[in-house]
Amino acid sequence: MSSRDLVLMTAPLREDFTIPCHEIGPAAGNPAVSFVSGLHGDEINGIYILARLADFLTAVEEGAYPKLRLAQRVLIIPAVNVLGANTLRRAWPFDQSDQNRMFPGNQMGETTQRIAYTVLEATKKSAYRVDLHGSNLYFEELPQVRLYDPTPEERETARLFGLPAIMERSVSPVFTTTLMYSWKYWPGQSFLLQVGQAGSIQLPHCQQVFRGLVAFLGRIGVLEGVEVAEADQEALYFTRECSVRIYADRAGMFVSDKTLGGWVSKGQELGYIYDSFNGAVRTRVTAPAAGLLTGIRRQPMLFEGDLLVRICTR
Amino acid sequence: MPESSLSITTSCILSLEMPYSERLCIRRTVYRGGNGPRVAIVAGIHGDELEGLYVCQLLADWLERMARENPAGLTGTVELYPAMNPLGLDTLTRAIPVFDTDLNRNFPGSPSGDLPKRIAHAAIGNLSGAALVIDIHASNIYLREIPQVRINTDFADRLVPLAQRLNLDLIWLHGAMTVLEATVAHSLNSVGTPCLVVEMGVGMRITPDYCRQLMTGILTLWKDLGVLAPDVELPSLNHLPLIADDSNVHYLNAPTSGLFVPVIEHWTDVRKGQLLGNIVSPLQGGILAEVRSPVDGILFTLREYPLVYEGSLMARVMARKGRLA
Repeated sequence: MSSRDLVLMTAPLREDFTIPCHEIGPAAGNPAVSFVSGLHGDEINGIYILARLADFLTAVEEGAYPKLRLAQRVLIIPAVNVLGANTLRRAWPFDQSDQNRMFPGNQMGETTQRIAYTVLEATKKSAYRVDLHGSNLYFEELPQVRLYDPTPEERETARLFGLPAIMERSVSPVFTTTLMYSWKYWPGQSFLLQVGQAGSIQLPHCQQVFRGLVAFLGRIGVLEGVEVAEADQEALYFTRECSVRIYADRAGMFVSDKTLGGWVSKGQELGYIYDSFNGAVRTRVTAPAAGLLTGIRRQPMLFEGDLLVRICTR
Repeated sequence: MPESSLSITTSCILSLEMPYSERLCIRRTVYRGGNGPRVAIVAGIHGDELEGLYVCQLLADWLERMARENPAGLTGTVELYPAMNPLGLDTLTRAIPVFDTDLNRNFPGSPSGDLPKRIAHAAIGNLSGAALVIDIHASNIYLREIPQVRINTDFADRLVPLAQRLNLDLIWLHGAMTVLEATVAHSLNSVGTPCLVVEMGVGMRITPDYCRQLMTGILTLWKDLGVLAPDVELPSLNHLPLIADDSNVHYLNAPTSGLFVPVIEHWTDVRKGQLLGNIVSPLQGGILAEVRSPVDGILFTLREYPLVYEGSLMARVMARKGRLA
């Protein structure tokens, strides 16, 4: 396995601090594909998927899969926020700054700006760049490709992951300091994958995305010999207008037994909001429209106005 | 309303159910005198910043004394919003707890969104149209700042003349950054409501001298605007601001990790090459790195929280650029 330290820094009290990465495949030129996850230390699905992908591609390199060959180099950073991953913190633990609000970074700036600079430098020249996220501690996302103001090529390529949903979003002002936004200044294509929920591993989601990444590498010709079906699954394309969101009309406790990825009909019961003190039902939550269940709240304690469910309509 | 009355009311601008039993209320106190202009003070947007809370208390105390002794002196309306992020203040958290989001990146908000968006929307709805809003911040727990106003160059023409009357020591003009478009100040200035952002002191502490200094400036500005009667007597201004921008501010970031120990007081004149502090290691004797001033100037930012990682900001020194005429 070929790994190196992307960042090497001193730490105040413990041993020196590094951000290790994998570089797998032929050595010449820039990596054809860069995979990044763990910008937020609590988004463990992405860390798990990329660590397993590194293990798989290393095995390919070592000849464990005779039919497969890595034709081009792949860069994998399973966790950028290493200290956060080790202490289960979303933000950079030392100063609580969000590593994904520090781009494009600055070589001479704050610690997280220096990290951002190095990550961007290592990844920006890849033809394909993929940033994996795991929502947050509260909300579970169906594995999906998120596109931000995409090019026509990115719209087409997004289908190659074979994930159940592709969602298009516009760039808001607070988004301008993210890795995705900085990538878009460079030639090449950029994708953000949302997978499950932070704080734990949802194995079925991870397995689905792992297969998706291998299929993607096969379809773009980086991993030769992969047998990929024409369409593992029909990728559904949703613009922002296709998303129907249900917000909490009352505070309380939201409980649902629904799993993501299923189709719901209009009026179908999705869960309940209870009064958390006396247990009375405050709201029976039902689907306002028929569609694919792509996101659901898992942290039950609600304020008024919290997002409960997202349904994507055809 | 009789000429000499001054009414004082405290109310909620937003009341929301909480998950278990309680309600969240964003409170303000309104001092209503004559029909003159309306002004507002905003504080506590970040739950770890307390300097503005004390400024609100000083102003409330002053206004209540006015109500007793000279009610006709208040010719306009004053609104104090000391705690825009009450859950953050309750829990020593900079961001809004649970939502883990910076309230000052959620403006202008929306009436039906999540809690941060609703607070932002309620704030903008109440503050829009004021003759002046002052949003008081207290740096963070890491850095101590001299009393200053920060102004986006997009709005400098209108705001600098106001800021010069605020009795502070620095006006820092910064370029337009997209990410700052989601602040309360940008949202208000964009709709024509002038909003000055004050930064002073340090997080989780109060610096009473700075608070009283700012209070003098606020009262002076209110009198300029006609919120206070011309015959109201105020202490005279005793601070004139220096000007800083990208051309004369120098950042000192830590070259190595360790414990930063300053050897100089905050807010002093420094010479080029002068020692400001040392980075040392608790694991060994000696000095890991010396921190020296890159220019002749004023040490206007100094690290308060001593642990540093490589890159942590330890100080900012401003080369003298003169004052605005």
